[in-house]
Amino acid sequence: MTDPLLETTEFEPAKDELESSSFPEREKPRVRYGLEDDTGFDEVPKKYRRFYRRWRGKGDQLAPNEVICPVCRVVIRSARDLRPGDRVYCMPCFSRLTVVRAESGRLEARVEY
Amino acid sequence: MSVEMVEIHARDHEAFLREVHSFEFWFQSVEGYLVEHPYGVDPNAPIPELENSEKEALIATLSTYCVGEVAALDGASGMIGFAPSRQAKIFLATQVADEARHLEVMLHRLAELGVTDAEGEFEVRANRNLLAFRERLGEFVEAKDWEASLFAQNVILESMEFAAFHSHMQSADSRTAEMLAGVLKDERRHLGFGENDLGRHLAQAPHARRRLQEIKNELDTLVLATFEDSQRALGVPASERSEVGRLYLDTVARLGFDS
Repeated sequence: MTDPLLETTEFEPAKDELESSSFPEREKPRVRYGLEDDTGFDEVPKKYRRFYRRWRGKGDQLAPNEVICPVCRVVIRSARDLRPGDRVYCMPCFSRLTVVRAESGRLEARVEY
Repeated sequence: MSVEMVEIHARDHEAFLREVHSFEFWFQSVEGYLVEHPYGVDPNAPIPELENSEKEALIATLSTYCVGEVAALDGASGMIGFAPSRQAKIFLATQVADEARHLEVMLHRLAELGVTDAEGEFEVRANRNLLAFRERLGEFVEAKDWEASLFAQNVILESMEFAAFHSHMQSADSRTAEMLAGVLKDERRHLGFGENDLGRHLAQAPHARRRLQEIKNELDTLVLATFEDSQRALGVPASERSEVGRLYLDTVARLGFDS
């Protein structure tokens, strides 16, 4: 049985802005990521652990489906590549975040209270 | 259903908040890192030997940490009585359990370091600035002032503790580092609750910002002095001490407060 809280087949991050011509990168289909690997993250209930991992410091790199939570510095993972406007949740610190592209070109997360 | 087809980030905010503030969420979260770790450590790991000077510095620092934990234990338990929602009350009940555990594991570590009456002695050894902070937090709680209590405890104190414990872990002996790592995992929830709850509140009541800024200005001095002293005692170079305050400064900046 699938946990109803995890079941979201219709989910398309930033769906409302998909058709906007100002976000051409959104026109490309999303890349899906399997998150079944054990990241060693143990701070949330088992069923959610694959969505988070620790930042390993210098030398660590974020994948296209990952952003760092600015509140608690945990790496948040999505089952799809992330794009500006996407919403993600950081369960370890209860934060709702929006993905933005920083001046450096890197994807970052901004807290939305 | 394959794992690629599920995604937790699609949930609506209300459902997310309901779950993360629940006792069940807390219970399943702490289970991951507390089971089979009495007093927050691997019982089979050896207890490292420390030089006397290292031991004295660690005892003083842990004593100060104990004051912070007692402040949060008393603060969180008092705040349950006037928290504005059932979700906040339940979350604070879980925080009380966390703070009680932190105090217990730190007293246990002090006993391992040879302090014979850790509970009776920690206040004597602790930093005076943090004792003053605890008194001020107690006044906010006594006055049932939700905004000020939440700000002082779950934003100022928790984010400074998070930064200080994280920094201390880098240089601590293996047993102290393991204990602090477990405490840090709890602190993520506490500081996240504070920032997010206060952030939502300030969006509805922007007039509260000026008063909280004044409280911040008053308490900053006490908290920053406490952690500056602790870092010095632990031998952290002056050039690295400002890093410890960065997480706190980032937090208050996101909430719209001046440094």
